[in-house]
Amino acid sequence: MSFADSPLAAFLIGTAFGFALERAGLGDARKLAGQFYLKDFTVLKVMFSAIVTAMLGAFWLGRVGLIDLAAIHVPETFLAPQAVGGLIFGVGFVVSGLCPGTSCVAAASGRLDGLAAMLGLLAGVLITGLAFPLLEDFYRSTDRGVFTLPEMLGLPYGVVVTLVVAMALAAFRLAETLERRS
Amino acid sequence: MKTAQPYANPYVAGVCLGLVLLGAFVVAGQGLGASGAFANVATGLVDAASPRTAERNDYFASYLSGGAPWTAWMVVEIVGVIAGGALSAFLAGRMRVEIARGPGIGDRSRLAYAAGGGAIMGFGAVLARGCTSGQALSGGALLSVGSWAFMLAAFAAGFIAAPLARKLWR
Amino acid sequence: MKASTLGAGALLLSVAAPFAGSPYRAPQHLDVDGLVAQIERGEDHVTALELAGWIRARKPGLRVIDVRTPEEFAAYSIPTAENIPLDRLAPTAFRENETIVLYSEGGAHAGQAWVLLKALGRDNVRFIAGGLADWHYEVMAPVLAPDASAKDRKAFEAASELSRYFGGEPGLGPAQEPRASDTATRPRVATLRRRGC
Repeated sequence: MSFADSPLAAFLIGTAFGFALERAGLGDARKLAGQFYLKDFTVLKVMFSAIVTAMLGAFWLGRVGLIDLAAIHVPETFLAPQAVGGLIFGVGFVVSGLCPGTSCVAAASGRLDGLAAMLGLLAGVLITGLAFPLLEDFYRSTDRGVFTLPEMLGLPYGVVVTLVVAMALAAFRLAETLERRS
Repeated sequence: MKTAQPYANPYVAGVCLGLVLLGAFVVAGQGLGASGAFANVATGLVDAASPRTAERNDYFASYLSGGAPWTAWMVVEIVGVIAGGALSAFLAGRMRVEIARGPGIGDRSRLAYAAGGGAIMGFGAVLARGCTSGQALSGGALLSVGSWAFMLAAFAAGFIAAPLARKLWR
Repeated sequence: MKASTLGAGALLLSVAAPFAGSPYRAPQHLDVDGLVAQIERGEDHVTALELAGWIRARKPGLRVIDVRTPEEFAAYSIPTAENIPLDRLAPTAFRENETIVLYSEGGAHAGQAWVLLKALGRDNVRFIAGGLADWHYEVMAPVLAPDASAKDRKAFEAASELSRYFGGEPGLGPAQEPRASDTATRPRVATLRRRGC
């Protein structure tokens, strides 16, 4: 078994992940929910900073040949179930104030609401899984395979990278302005 | 008890998170995830209760095809997330048994809403093949169209549902 | 490190990106002699029966790829197979520890897909030389000729056992043509894959 697939790699990566989330304050449901009331833009700032960092890193490491970008697993696109799943997920997110990863971080720092969210998540996945035969057709619909924004927009990868960064910086600007007002 | 330190600068924390994600890409050839761990645990439970049910259900069966679900990569990763979260909280003096809630509701209501919201997220995460960690962050950084669709839909729904959930938080 | 420094760095890296070209690796030089040697040694393919054994044993890292059209895939496919038509095969990321088995109707397209993946530098790829037809005759409906030797008989018994696992119908006498009922007796084997998230 290569190191990549080993439990040790998974554990170390997970530890760094959880550590970073807690440092950012994303283990606190009040902070996360604050994003949806435009009071606290931590979620937006952390998420987009992370996406931009990893995106630029993957692009440049691939460009200079240090990694094989095509060998990194890109989640496949199933447009309809992912869009609908996203809508449903968003409702759950604002009701619970946590997401799967942050609920674990919340529970790890002693927050019982984190534990409750984790149990709810497990139940939700379990029940949905048991009901899978009913959902199966929709679940498998609109399969586009590995489908990236550069492919969809017909633009070079590097151009899309610039556009995403520009959008993120604009969002940060807006966030700072709105935060100052509240 | 140690006084709680303030949280890190969100941009800096975000970049650090991005570097962890990049590290996962480079080392493991895949991004981070969280909901997958819950799917593996659910599969393990169903398989333990009734192996026939698990095998006949395409969703659970797919989590059995790579070996025991209890030791799946994603499950070990989420154990790490808990460990890392605990370590950070401990070092920063933020370890405290509490219930984080808005001022308008009580503890019991908060726990019920947390669990209910969690269940709804579970449903959404199954359909979307992931959550904010696996799809929005990881798929987003790799510019996957489906991941961006998920992210935009989730945030749109959150903002639209927020006024209705106001009493939970404000 | 200050947020503004990080922001400036991101801006710099992103402004340079459109001028950097593609982040993907260029296709590798094709080692023709090496490929020919592999083909002659028979390392390029796997029998349908062998694949059946791998599927039942839940061989780790096994990925069965159907390179036909989605319509053909929906009509019948080998259990656990994923449908990745030829045009989507190149961009698909395969992990190093994965064993890829390609198949098509008769084997021609799968063989072409094999060359494609080898050209992209992929190892551990095989295809079913006779395609779905082999799957039918070897796995779903293996037959034992009346004048078979003891060795053939043993092989048939092993194949029958595997065949029944997949809902096939081993039989005696002449080979049976694929019937429509083959599609109705698919076993309950997982047809979804799991990666990440």
